[in-house]
Amino acid sequence: MKKPFGGSFGAPKHEDHMLGARQRIELPMRRYGNSEQVDYCIVGVGSAGGVLLQRLARAGFSVVGLEAGPFWDTERDWVSDEAGSYNLYWNELRITGGKDPLALGANNSGRGVGGGSVHWAAFTPRLHPSDFRVHSEDGVGVDWPISYQEIKPYYELLEKEIPVSGPAYFPWGDPHGYPYGPHPMGGCGDILVKGCTRLGIGVSIGGPVAILAGSHGDRPHCIYRGFCIQGCKVGAKQSTLISHVPDALAHGAEIRDHCMVSRILLGKDGRVTGVRYFNSNGREVEQKAKATIVCGYAIETPRLLLNSACPGHEAGLANSSGTLGRYLMAQAGNVVLGRFEELVRMYKAPPAHALTEEFYETDPKRGFARGFAVQTVGPLPISFARQMMVAKGAWGWGMRQVMMDYNHWGAIALLGEILPWEDNRVELAAEKDDNGIPVAKVTFNLHDNDKKMIEYGKNKVMEIMQAAGAEEVVQEARYAHLVGGARMGNDPRTSVVDRFGRTHDIPNLFVCDGSVMPTQGSANPGLTIQALAARTADYLISQRSEVFTRSTRSTTQPPIRYDLSPPGTWGKGVPRLT
Amino acid sequence: MAGSIHDGRPVNPNTGKPLRQRSQPGYYPGFSTLSQKDFWDDATRRIVLARLQNIPSIRFFSPEEVELVTAVCDRILPQDDRDDLHKIPIVNCIDERLHENRLDGYRFDGMPTDQEAHRLGLQGIAEVAQHMFQRRFVDLSPIEQESVLETLHDGDPPAGHSIWQRMPVSRYWLLLVQDVVGAYYAHPFAWDEIGFGGPAYPRGYMRLEGGEPEPWEVDERRYEWAPPPGSPSAKFTPVGGSSEHKGSPGQGSTH
Repeated sequence: MKKPFGGSFGAPKHEDHMLGARQRIELPMRRYGNSEQVDYCIVGVGSAGGVLLQRLARAGFSVVGLEAGPFWDTERDWVSDEAGSYNLYWNELRITGGKDPLALGANNSGRGVGGGSVHWAAFTPRLHPSDFRVHSEDGVGVDWPISYQEIKPYYELLEKEIPVSGPAYFPWGDPHGYPYGPHPMGGCGDILVKGCTRLGIGVSIGGPVAILAGSHGDRPHCIYRGFCIQGCKVGAKQSTLISHVPDALAHGAEIRDHCMVSRILLGKDGRVTGVRYFNSNGREVEQKAKATIVCGYAIETPRLLLNSACPGHEAGLANSSGTLGRYLMAQAGNVVLGRFEELVRMYKAPPAHALTEEFYETDPKRGFARGFAVQTVGPLPISFARQMMVAKGAWGWGMRQVMMDYNHWGAIALLGEILPWEDNRVELAAEKDDNGIPVAKVTFNLHDNDKKMIEYGKNKVMEIMQAAGAEEVVQEARYAHLVGGARMGNDPRTSVVDRFGRTHDIPNLFVCDGSVMPTQGSANPGLTIQALAARTADYLISQRSEVFTRSTRSTTQPPIRYDLSPPGTWGKGVPRLT
Repeated sequence: MAGSIHDGRPVNPNTGKPLRQRSQPGYYPGFSTLSQKDFWDDATRRIVLARLQNIPSIRFFSPEEVELVTAVCDRILPQDDRDDLHKIPIVNCIDERLHENRLDGYRFDGMPTDQEAHRLGLQGIAEVAQHMFQRRFVDLSPIEQESVLETLHDGDPPAGHSIWQRMPVSRYWLLLVQDVVGAYYAHPFAWDEIGFGGPAYPRGYMRLEGGEPEPWEVDERRYEWAPPPGSPSAKFTPVGGSSEHKGSPGQGSTH
């Protein structure tokens, strides 16, 4: 067998902290004292927390991010290996129940700087304009307090910052194009294109994904190794760890890793004074801050606010509405697997690289409100075996037999809109974690509209798989993503935060992550979460010190700040659409 | 249903004779992911080689449990067609996970801890074996052992009811099977068997379409084989019996 030029590949011979194959940052960073009152304390440095940290630091605020997981060195910590990527996920105990319980952990929960964006597949479709008016248009769910037009400039900005590869013309929702060209196709993309084309269904190829089709600054382009959801060692797939955190640190932000926040602290004046957390030595300490932003995602954010209950806020902080933890959503993510006579080898290329949104909007003929997308996935052997365990009931010799045909199978998946329901929620369980903090209990039930959507959508995806020429088609029911639990709204009686993420109850406490989303559409939530974070950051920056002292709240959206993007954002081409 | 020494082996369907044991079953003879290890990054190389070189010692299961869980794993993921040098360790991996309390990030409401679930499940399997064959599970023939496990797969075990009242049998079944396949298909010998290319950083893949092999991968060369005659695990039937098992969402991450 051939050897690499210059011998076996080894670890980089330098002391720098690596973020991808070529990007290195110098640590240590700026450090604040616990008793030093910083401007902003951010709880959770994931998709939203990373963007907020970068924006606020660039604007000159003192800001500390507390992250429960590690600050990754990608060369040291990440591997091209399924089982070896265990530590990327939030694997601590949570209780999952209800009639249709959700799988958590690797399925939807990140841990460590970058959060879920470290292990997302990086599909980045926008929400459609209709998603913001679901109740007005379809009489289900709830309207957002903002319109598509208000978030649109932030979609456009983040698509350049992170940046997104995809077609020059993406036809669904509000049509637009992408700054980096589409990726070459892999086996599952070819299947989706073939099946859709034979059925007359439009399909987008090569994106939109936050994976580089060409090098970008110190980030190399994709090498098509297929381990996207195991963490991109290349640095081609975006995470806030590599797109925003380096710029945040360069502008004076501090990130404390291995710090688990246990409680948000409330002062006598009804304002938040900071947080209490277990530091990396396991000691419980406090950080003072003029304002606090919780960015813990749809389960840990409600859990922290519920665990911060105190006199006057017995049901949890920011929960006067009683909606904290409620209206939790996951998307239907049924995986449809097809066996082909010819080889597919679906482990190559990013799992995410082609999709159709032809079924996204409500179609009264289908008998349910809202819709779904169909996307490529690319399960690696362990995931595939676990899918076969359910989809075919495989075990024993049957498992060995179907796995020997792994390279003959391809996979595409449903991504369907499940509506927000009051009974789908996060509460506190009786069990506690290693720090003695009560863990989350998640309850999830499908409702009638959801079941009809899943049945129709699943059958449509199977039809596409058959049209592509599969000789055997099976499917596994599953869910993808999590949003909701601290939803935004104009009415303090029915929502937790306002249109900018400020809690209705406490003027210097904010929530910014997927939990604020009132509905979810059939788009993967990662881009929307980052766009909302950039929008909240612009709002906070425009308020200057008013957030720290005043209780009045402005509800006017400030102009977008184009001068706060990380380096390398500008000068990239986006075809102009007229 | 007396077992013979060979009834655990897959057979040549034309002759009915047991297949000889191989160092590498599967349709990719000569394919070796490990031959590419110089092209992998350090961290990946370390973690994959450890699966061959540093097999964790047993710390969770008792000696009696090890005997039983080994026999169970040998049927959940049979390796009778592999020679002794190329069998993939499974029990040690599960034992390590339970000893180190490596959770999957959630526990179903009403389920005991993963550790307790595995212990209870083994007791349940022992009781079903006694009920069906009046012998210990480990003393049964492979086909008999499979028929014991089949009752769990079907969600209808004929004994151990006090255990299955504390823990739904289908939830235990999925926990067990996913732990076993998680260990087997993490091993480079299994990657060679199924033709999975394995780690590919920093080199990457270049032939993405049409199922074409990389220059260092090999073409598929199929041969005929069949599971041991009468093997219950060779049937594909839904977990939990005829009514599709409800409420067991997919485990891994997809999109």
